[in-house]
Amino acid sequence: MSRRLLAAGALLLALGAGFGLAPGAAGDGLLPFSTEEVGAIVSHGPWPPPWAADPSNRASGNAAAVTLGERLFFDPRLSVNGKVSCGSCHQPEHGWIDGEKRGFGLARVDRNTPTLLDVRLQRWFGHDGAADSLWAQSMRPITDARELGATPAHIAQLVRGDAQLACRYENVFGEAPPADDNAVLVGVGKLLAAFQETIVSSRTPFDRFRDAMAKGDRQRAAQYSLPAQRGLKIFIGKGACNTCHFGANFTNNEFGDVGMSYFIEKGRVDPGRHGGIKTLNASPYTLLSRWNDDPARSTATSTRHVEPEQRNFGEFKVPTLRNALLSAPYMHDGSLASLRDVIRHYSELNEERLHADGQQILRPLRLTPAESNDLLVFLESVSTFTSPWRGNSASDDPPCVVKKK
Amino acid sequence: MRHVRLSVACALLSCALASHGALACTAAFTGAAVIESPGYVLAWRTQPAPIVVGKHFAVDIVVCPRAGTAAGTKAGMALPQSLRVDAQMPDHRHGMNYKASVSVVNGEGAGRYRAEGLMFHMPGRWELLFELRGVATDRLVAEVMLK
Repeated sequence: MSRRLLAAGALLLALGAGFGLAPGAAGDGLLPFSTEEVGAIVSHGPWPPPWAADPSNRASGNAAAVTLGERLFFDPRLSVNGKVSCGSCHQPEHGWIDGEKRGFGLARVDRNTPTLLDVRLQRWFGHDGAADSLWAQSMRPITDARELGATPAHIAQLVRGDAQLACRYENVFGEAPPADDNAVLVGVGKLLAAFQETIVSSRTPFDRFRDAMAKGDRQRAAQYSLPAQRGLKIFIGKGACNTCHFGANFTNNEFGDVGMSYFIEKGRVDPGRHGGIKTLNASPYTLLSRWNDDPARSTATSTRHVEPEQRNFGEFKVPTLRNALLSAPYMHDGSLASLRDVIRHYSELNEERLHADGQQILRPLRLTPAESNDLLVFLESVSTFTSPWRGNSASDDPPCVVKKK
Repeated sequence: MRHVRLSVACALLSCALASHGALACTAAFTGAAVIESPGYVLAWRTQPAPIVVGKHFAVDIVVCPRAGTAAGTKAGMALPQSLRVDAQMPDHRHGMNYKASVSVVNGEGAGRYRAEGLMFHMPGRWELLFELRGVATDRLVAEVMLK
């Protein structure tokens, strides 16, 4: 019998005998979980997922690219006025966000700054999914007038004109920064992506509980607090939150309308996913373009088959719930200040507003105060304050010398 | 329009034995589920199998006109003029976020198709729809429960 079959058998025994059938709350502090519940819990892991390079980005997983990408990420010279960097909004010490309701680069933008933790696991990028790769998404704020406000020419001149940047660029890509400004901008996007792929979150109390459940280790599983266990039961049961927030990263990487306001301000509407698909289709930097480094276009299936539909209007990306504790305020517009507000939103959903288009996924949860507290404790348990990221000071790097080919 | 519905659970052997057309249709197509309508027998299987929530999959399809079999049909004679593949979650009243593309597979006999780009982005009950347009339009539905 193969090792894999043995492991599967052990899991089945754990599911059937270890947890699922014990009636009532046991004295060891573990609630009774049905076989189906254990299966749902186990499906939220393991964490972290294995590393996989992005085939559309030839710099992905390249150590020199990661280092250079980190330099560029925190370099304000990428902005038109030399004062704003990617790190101005995506602040590592604040969970890679700025804590603002809506981000502010050179001016106030329309949406909340999303965290970059585990960003490599996403399928679509931005709240509306207007980019289909991390490298394309990394180029967008650079040229957005309200964020870094730069042009491809500005970026190209910076990289070509700075001997250290030019040398490091050449060592990563095997050629000096090209004469085509757009090509340099794409290269910078790929370097930034290579760095952001390394921003991964640590294991959480939930992950330890999940692994104990998978192994049938009751004693270890019982170390997970009872309120968190009760909240988890709501998450995968009454709340059906895992319909969209499933898998190890607690998201289906797709989009939904969860009843938030359509308006950015009076008279100005955010079209959400509908606008995102239109932007994607108009972009010269998608996975279907010549800038994709993967000749097989192996990651371009979603791009090839996505089309805007009316129901996409007002849909926004389903975010990961990992480390949600660190990413307040919430929702695409930052309109909910705390996780408690988010739970209240789902508990008191306006059905008339939500089901105007006929979809019937969401219902008001009508949670009691005690249930809301339990769900909150569970969500907090999918967070950790332990950050594996350590900044790499550019001044620590030895001067660059172009490698011999 | 004619509607035919069949659960995936009723598949393979039992369905194949229920119809000579199905048996012939699936003879060279192992691991497939079968749906029948008055006009057609349709065998399908996904790649990868089983379907994974939130991951793209393709569907390999064989269509056999009831009057004959795929192998024995003159090309273009009794096969549908077009085949459309789609899916929906009836309980949620929404479809997929992606539009499947269907292409004819050449070199493996008549009536072979491949649908690509499908994705079930939520667990639950899905209906996989096959719309065959010929002299009449047949809609065949297979139910898929996804956990």
